[in-house]
Amino acid sequence: MNELKQTSIIDRPICLLLGALGGQGGGVLIDWLVDAAKRAGYPAQATSTPGVAQRTGATTYYFELFPEKNPAGSPIFTFFPASGDLDLMIAMEPTEAGRAIERGFVTDCTTVISATERVYSTAEKVSAGDGRIDVAPIIEAIDKASKELIQLDMAELSAGTAARGNAIAFGAVIGSGILPLTADECRASIAAKGVAVESNLAGFDIGLKAAQDGTKPGKQGTDTLYNAAPDAFISAIAEFPAAPRGIIGHGIARLIDYQNDAYARTYLERLKPIAAADSDESKKLTGEVARHLARWMSFEDVIRVAQLKTRPNRLARIRDELKVDASTPLVVTDYFKPGRDEMLSVVPKAFSWLVPNLKNGMAVHMKTGSAFGYAMLKFMAALKPLRARSAQNSEEQAAIEQWLSAVIQAAASDNYLACQTANLAIMARGYGRVRKTGLEKLKALFSTWENRLASDHAGLAAEVDQLILLANSNPDAG
Amino acid sequence: MDGGTALARVTNSGERSFTKEIQKLTLGAGEEFHGEGILAVTKALLQSGVSYVGGYPGAPMSHLIDVLAEASDEILEPMGITYEQSASEAGAASLLSASIHYPMRGAVTWKSVVGTNVASDALSNLASTGVTGGSLIILGDDYGEGSSIMQERTYTFAMKSAIPLIDPRYDMARMVELTEHCFGISEASNMPVFLNMRIRACHLTGSFTAKDNKIAEFNANNPIPEQKYDVTKIVLPPASYQHEVAKFEERLPAAVNYAKEHSINELFAGNSTNEKVGIITQGGTYTVVLRALRRLGAADAFGNSDISIYCMNMVYPLVNHEVIQFMSGKDSVLIVEEGNPNFIETQIAEIAHTNQIKCRVHGKDMLPMAGEYVSNVVREGVAQYLAEEGTPEVSKRALDLNADIVAKTKEAQSYLPGPMPPRPPSFCTGCPERPVMTALKLLMKERGKFHISMDIGCNLFGSLPPFNVGNTVLGYGLSLASSGAIGPALDQPNVAVMGDGGFWHNGFTSGVVNTQWNKYDAVLVILDNGYAAATGQHKVPSTGATPRGIESLLSIESALKGIGVKWIKHVDSYSLENTIDVLREAMDARGEGLRVVLSNNECMLARQRREKPAKAAALKAGQRVIHEKFGVDEEVCTGDHSCMRLSGCPSLTLKQSADPLKETPVANVDETCVACGNCGEVAHAAQLCPSFYKAEAVQNAGAFRQFASSINRSLLAMMGAK
Repeated sequence: MNELKQTSIIDRPICLLLGALGGQGGGVLIDWLVDAAKRAGYPAQATSTPGVAQRTGATTYYFELFPEKNPAGSPIFTFFPASGDLDLMIAMEPTEAGRAIERGFVTDCTTVISATERVYSTAEKVSAGDGRIDVAPIIEAIDKASKELIQLDMAELSAGTAARGNAIAFGAVIGSGILPLTADECRASIAAKGVAVESNLAGFDIGLKAAQDGTKPGKQGTDTLYNAAPDAFISAIAEFPAAPRGIIGHGIARLIDYQNDAYARTYLERLKPIAAADSDESKKLTGEVARHLARWMSFEDVIRVAQLKTRPNRLARIRDELKVDASTPLVVTDYFKPGRDEMLSVVPKAFSWLVPNLKNGMAVHMKTGSAFGYAMLKFMAALKPLRARSAQNSEEQAAIEQWLSAVIQAAASDNYLACQTANLAIMARGYGRVRKTGLEKLKALFSTWENRLASDHAGLAAEVDQLILLANSNPDAG
Repeated sequence: MDGGTALARVTNSGERSFTKEIQKLTLGAGEEFHGEGILAVTKALLQSGVSYVGGYPGAPMSHLIDVLAEASDEILEPMGITYEQSASEAGAASLLSASIHYPMRGAVTWKSVVGTNVASDALSNLASTGVTGGSLIILGDDYGEGSSIMQERTYTFAMKSAIPLIDPRYDMARMVELTEHCFGISEASNMPVFLNMRIRACHLTGSFTAKDNKIAEFNANNPIPEQKYDVTKIVLPPASYQHEVAKFEERLPAAVNYAKEHSINELFAGNSTNEKVGIITQGGTYTVVLRALRRLGAADAFGNSDISIYCMNMVYPLVNHEVIQFMSGKDSVLIVEEGNPNFIETQIAEIAHTNQIKCRVHGKDMLPMAGEYVSNVVREGVAQYLAEEGTPEVSKRALDLNADIVAKTKEAQSYLPGPMPPRPPSFCTGCPERPVMTALKLLMKERGKFHISMDIGCNLFGSLPPFNVGNTVLGYGLSLASSGAIGPALDQPNVAVMGDGGFWHNGFTSGVVNTQWNKYDAVLVILDNGYAAATGQHKVPSTGATPRGIESLLSIESALKGIGVKWIKHVDSYSLENTIDVLREAMDARGEGLRVVLSNNECMLARQRREKPAKAAALKAGQRVIHEKFGVDEEVCTGDHSCMRLSGCPSLTLKQSADPLKETPVANVDETCVACGNCGEVAHAAQLCPSFYKAEAVQNAGAFRQFASSINRSLLAMMGAK
């Protein structure tokens, strides 16, 4: 039994707000609470506004319980959470707790129980760049704004069980000790509801323990892990400033995987003039170019895609995703639709006129989990040596050279502009039409680069900023 | 084609069950009912002896018709209650015609104000004629947070048709009692009565002591001996002039008298030190007012208030006598009246003026003109009122407490780094309507933007990100009709999108017939997913059965052909390229009149409700089950999120890339994927990328399949795959 800080006269109901997304089981959680309160003999009322929540919309549930059994009168319950009058806020997603603060419901008398895992909103997803809002300052704000913050890492807590988030949250509500309900009363409610009783009881106990222990989820590792370059490259890397060496090593490893050692040497040769032109102490420019250059030089042509789709552990990883063992028959279908440009990646430039101009590409649904499909891909991947002479490769390499020379020209007078120019490489991204459009824009920009750098420096800088902004945020991009 | 899928649905229906709710509706005298508000109202109908019930589903009152639909054996048949889920609100309202001549009680329900708009033709006629049997209209009022409709007031309908409007205080026992009184008011005044139920009230939980259900004197099992004819009940001159007089000289006064005699409105007296002030509120906002008073130190948790409250459970017509009594001797009153225009406040001000009562009337000068009267809003208004009009002690306490709450709230809000991301509603995972929106967006990339008229229902989410393809929405079933004047004005044919619910509600007559008759050049896309899905999977005429389970199938295609629509094509919306091709063809077929593109994949929620348990059972029984989902090869994904801008699927989301070379998160398909295949189709149709794959695991595979698979695995291992 949880201890209640009971005053002689109870002057208000305990108020609880639940913020969830449609489909997270918020309604069931509230049903359990209502039933447990009735079971225990406390007057209580719940309400909700499911409305058109569907699967993605934010929705709220509200619950009030008068913490005295058989009180002398009928307590007045109402429908809306109110500022300074909310004891418990449960958020099935951290920004939903943030939303409750935004709406004025969370104050210093509110305990917040929040799931830690983000469910990204459409607005965050449709950005062409990284549209995710930074959740750390929001968690910090919840912590500061509330009386106490209990965080639930649902994935970690439920690992190895079939427990669902709403049952874990229910356990945490009782574990927080704010409601006068006992764990047994709640378990009885779960059993009476009759839905997935076993896993919900397990989830309840997990949440109960998590809230009682007050354990905070461990800090997520945010350190970037770089792959190391082979020893043969160590001395060459050492010629570069210390700051970007990690990313350069990673780039070398990537390009050896992509093509061969010689290709990785080309990468270093291309980087040297950049490092020489990088006058800033932070060596940010060198690092940015090292990153973009390695990514661009390992552009995803059909050979590369075939290589990536035949990574040795790919099928095992897919089995994990489906949670099936190695003996279960598995069918994997890949959706390929190479257009003319993609086919050019394996055709020497001199013969590119032979490749037909298919308007919509050639649709292939390939069974890549079968030995035959896999072998086909392996064969494609083995065409790596053809890449050097392919039409697509020569176009991409020319574009890379053009971009690098633009960066160097800019670096001579304006390190910031050079860094921004380095970032323009994100426009060389994606496949098909997306990639083509980006490359065409870059080509147009760089064709008058030198002149404009001299005559219209400010205008050019503004245009570069604008292009990066658009590439990262334009919801209609691609 | 639609016949086949529809009939399969019927035989598989019954995935939702209301057994527990039906048990609650059959409780007898003295037993305790515990459940949701709208179910309590349903029980009150049965306790009042209704002969018929009808309605059109919609949040928040769908539960009423859903539960009754399933209660044929237990309730409807033994009690002789006629029941229908009507084809529209107008149909439901028309049922009330049974109470014009005959002493039968009946109730109908729908979502207000949209449903009341549709029902108004019948309601106006009914209100003019007047009724003999008690007639109740239960309005699920969708106003405020979570609402999916325009924000308007039901009060206007009550005033224009002189229909008494009950806005009950939300204490469950009182709410049930007031519902029963509605029939009394109706019979006393010969007028139908509105019972307004706010969304949160429909979903509230509570208890009351039940009474026995009452079987009506006349019902389907005991018919009325003979039909009745009375020309004065026909809305034609001169009767219609007499009706108008009767409404205001006889019927409304009778309603007022009934309310007085039965204490429909309630006076909660305050203490004598505060007798100069008082609050007048609607029944529905009573608990919010009391909460505000408690927070401001003027009431306790049990509703004992220092300030007098006049709680109007009947908000139209006003009981002038009671209002005058309440205001007499007071310096001022505060009217807490949600919604606008502020009809109650203006009427009360007029009463004060006409009766020369020296009492200041506050209302919208202290409370916001528009928006839901939630706790914080009402607290601020009441605080201002107490500060200005209360005794010095009350005034100071209210001001101090309110300032403290405001300061604490502001402090908490100040910690937030910025606004939270908005979360508008969208299509469910695997929804068959999503690919249609993708197709329209891709078609716009191809041929420039064109005008799309959307309809009411899930399809409207296509107007929101990431699709942004709907230009207008005008009402249920009105998408095609609403594009009549747009088509000729634009250089591209306009497209109207409509669900099957919209088609049968109004779209066929107002849209298709109108377009066909006027020979308009237009494209209509009908999303026939088998249900009115947005309201919670309600059956429509083309579902294949009525809500009561009676097989009955109307075909959309036959209806179209019946009035001569020639250009009709079916698409499987999950096959995106085909959908785009057919839509393109429809757009290009100018001069061929109305072109209809029919997509009839079933609502994915309905499908999952049926298939998920079936799969789980089959897996348990050792039968062959295919477990499938889509996935993304992280290394192949370049992180430009084009796929998300064309899909918006909840299961297609972001993941931090493990690759330090990538500056943006990569795409990821989470475990909620239902393998509809749209992401793969999008990548294909828009030539986005080869990142997506479909994975199917064959569980409980047969011996041969197992053997073939083991050979395959050996071969793969030889090629280096793990």
